[in-house]
Amino acid sequence: MGQIFQRSTNFISRISIFGGVFFVALIIWLLLEFNRSSYYTQAFFPREQPVQFSHKHHAGDDGIDCRYCHTSVETEAFAGIPPTKTCMNCHSQIWSSSPYLEPVRESWRTGKSINWTRVHDLPDFVYFNHSIHVNKGVGCSTCHGRIDLMPLTYQVASLNMEWCLECHRNPEPQLRPKNAIFKMDWEAPPNQQQEGARLRREYNIPSTEVLTSCSTCHR
Amino acid sequence: MRENPLESTPPDQTISPPSVIGPGLTFSSVTDKISSIALSRRTPLGWFIGAGISFLLAMLMLYTIGYLVLTGIGIWGNNIPVGWAFDIINFVWWIGIGHAGTLISAILLLLRQQWRTSINRFAEAMTLFAVACAGLFPLLHTGRPWLAHWLFPVPNTMGVWPQFRSPLIWDVFAVSTYATVSALFWFIGLIPDLATLRDRAKKHSAKIIYGMLAMGWRGSARHWHRYETAYLLLAGLATPLVVSVHTVVSFDFAIGIVPGWHTTIFPPYFVAGAIYAGFAMVLTLAIPLRKWYGLEQYITMRHLRNMSKIMLATGLIVAYGYMMETFMSWYSGNQFAQGLLTVVVGYVPADVLGLVDVRRNDRVLLKLDVPFRSIPADDLDLRNSDDSARSSGEGVGGKEEASMNVYGLMAEFESPTAIVAATRFAYEEGYRRMDAYSPYPIEELSEALGVHHSRLPFVVLIGGLIGCFGGYSLCYWVSAVAYPLNIGGRPLHSWPAFIPVTFECTILVAALAAVFGMLALNGLPQPYHPVFDAPRFELATRNTFFLCIEARDPKFDIEKTRTFLHGLGATDIVVLER
Repeated sequence: MGQIFQRSTNFISRISIFGGVFFVALIIWLLLEFNRSSYYTQAFFPREQPVQFSHKHHAGDDGIDCRYCHTSVETEAFAGIPPTKTCMNCHSQIWSSSPYLEPVRESWRTGKSINWTRVHDLPDFVYFNHSIHVNKGVGCSTCHGRIDLMPLTYQVASLNMEWCLECHRNPEPQLRPKNAIFKMDWEAPPNQQQEGARLRREYNIPSTEVLTSCSTCHR
Repeated sequence: MRENPLESTPPDQTISPPSVIGPGLTFSSVTDKISSIALSRRTPLGWFIGAGISFLLAMLMLYTIGYLVLTGIGIWGNNIPVGWAFDIINFVWWIGIGHAGTLISAILLLLRQQWRTSINRFAEAMTLFAVACAGLFPLLHTGRPWLAHWLFPVPNTMGVWPQFRSPLIWDVFAVSTYATVSALFWFIGLIPDLATLRDRAKKHSAKIIYGMLAMGWRGSARHWHRYETAYLLLAGLATPLVVSVHTVVSFDFAIGIVPGWHTTIFPPYFVAGAIYAGFAMVLTLAIPLRKWYGLEQYITMRHLRNMSKIMLATGLIVAYGYMMETFMSWYSGNQFAQGLLTVVVGYVPADVLGLVDVRRNDRVLLKLDVPFRSIPADDLDLRNSDDSARSSGEGVGGKEEASMNVYGLMAEFESPTAIVAATRFAYEEGYRRMDAYSPYPIEELSEALGVHHSRLPFVVLIGGLIGCFGGYSLCYWVSAVAYPLNIGGRPLHSWPAFIPVTFECTILVAALAAVFGMLALNGLPQPYHPVFDAPRFELATRNTFFLCIEARDPKFDIEKTRTFLHGLGATDIVVLER
């Protein structure tokens, strides 16, 4: 009847079966890596803002405390975006004619809020409370990074659920004493393992089962 | 085309009725008729009309799916907690339909019901489409089908795994295992048929397509031996699988605490209902198909009667299920269960019809003849014969050089009796490096070649053990190690809840091992092989038998072997180049 295929088809067809398996595995791996990439999570990408506000200048160089603007961070779920009034406390006196600050003055004149773009935006099905974290020893820079060094603000965490779980499963390495919460340059002491365990008892942080229960974050 | 009842009779010789196929059929006429449907028959106008209507309905479905995704699954009635919404009903129904295909291909094979051969392939194809349709509904039921991969235990950025203590994840494993095993069963059964089509095809493109799909199947007796083993093992694996699938589907309901759902009668009643509905679908497809494609000789009244009998039997089980459900709803005194008193209509008329038909033809059952033979027990290892051939071949290099470019001598025989006799003689003469080629499996032929033992069952056993251990480890690791979750205070290591998934993984890996083990041991895919150069080799998938003594056999001598083969009654002998 004669050959339909070349001799080399034997090798190609056998290799293509294995190749198919590896190809599928590669696709799955690539999709997972894409999900973790900062292109997808938007980590390290500064957001476009109506005013070129620099945390580096205000929190870093000027040394303004976080809570001066984010007033409700210790008591409420939402840390709070400052009203235009907070800006004008200073900027009615300094840089009062800077063209960069025109949107702020316009907001002040018209009473219309500035439309800041949210940088850390969790999905709506996640319940996140700033106050519980701040009061139980999680400092600002643990999640937000060195905000005091950021001219334009970006997120440093992926905000993936696996990132949340990393700490909820094992909070000890991240816990700090109360007076270090707002310290941007806090670094874990060498005895952090014992210190973290002590702080966990002191703060009365519940068990990992409770911290990783579905309804802790999805209410 | 395989496992034909004609097996024990010489080809091109009429067989006598009553039989599962019509009178006057021979191997060649069956092969030619069936392959002509796919290869040379002009597509009738009716096909285009039918395909056009189906296309419009498919477009309507896409439109409704679009509406569903944009609006939400509430439009299906999912807002009513105790009703089975549209998608749930469709899922259960479609999965059930598929059961008939697997039942025909697996259980009837194990029960040696010869009549399955005419209908099994399209019933298996129906199973595949039914499972594909069924699979759509849970995906759409999620409301976000693009996140459907969350149903499977794939590593993800959420660090979350499926809940192995829930029947919903058992269902995912049951249905995807079922879909995979059905596809494997269908495809492995199709391989020799694809080779038949490859050899009948006239157009080059058709030859290429069928040739690629047939993976170089050449009807070798050694291949047939492993193939039959793999097929039987797959049937053995698919039989408990098919029972488990609808059982697990019924657990979706029965494990819930909704009154009227929380009942132990669900698993058997679901399985019987699935087979009942599935055979109804096979009949719905078979009756017009045999008419339109002129297949009355192949799918005979006997097939239809046998299927009606299965419908009658399973229909009665379903009727009992309905009655018990109704009775228990009343007897329980639970007002909510009583509210769910079932309406019993569907099954009565069909069963009455079936009863009349079976009563009229009840003697048909007694005439079942079963010429199927079992795989023989082993008494000699193929490897031993290979080794002895190799060792005795040492030191005869000069002869090998002379026949350097010769693959072997290919002799043609006209009947299965002749090829078996010739192979036996050749084996007795001392030839070992040889192979016989036939259009269908012949037990005696592989025995005559000295093939008695196959490593395939061991490969499948290893696959099954890996699946079993892997499945259980997956459940345990996910539930107790990776993300321990307190669900109503149940233990993290809830081993009874891990059994369904462990079972499905066992079947899945064992079935994959059976199919890929068979292919690997047979050296397939091998689309190029010297035997294809034999001028009349395309008849090896129709009605002719070939014996090839290979040049690497130490006893091979081109002239002596030719004379020897001639003495065996070969009608045609050709030299094959390497």
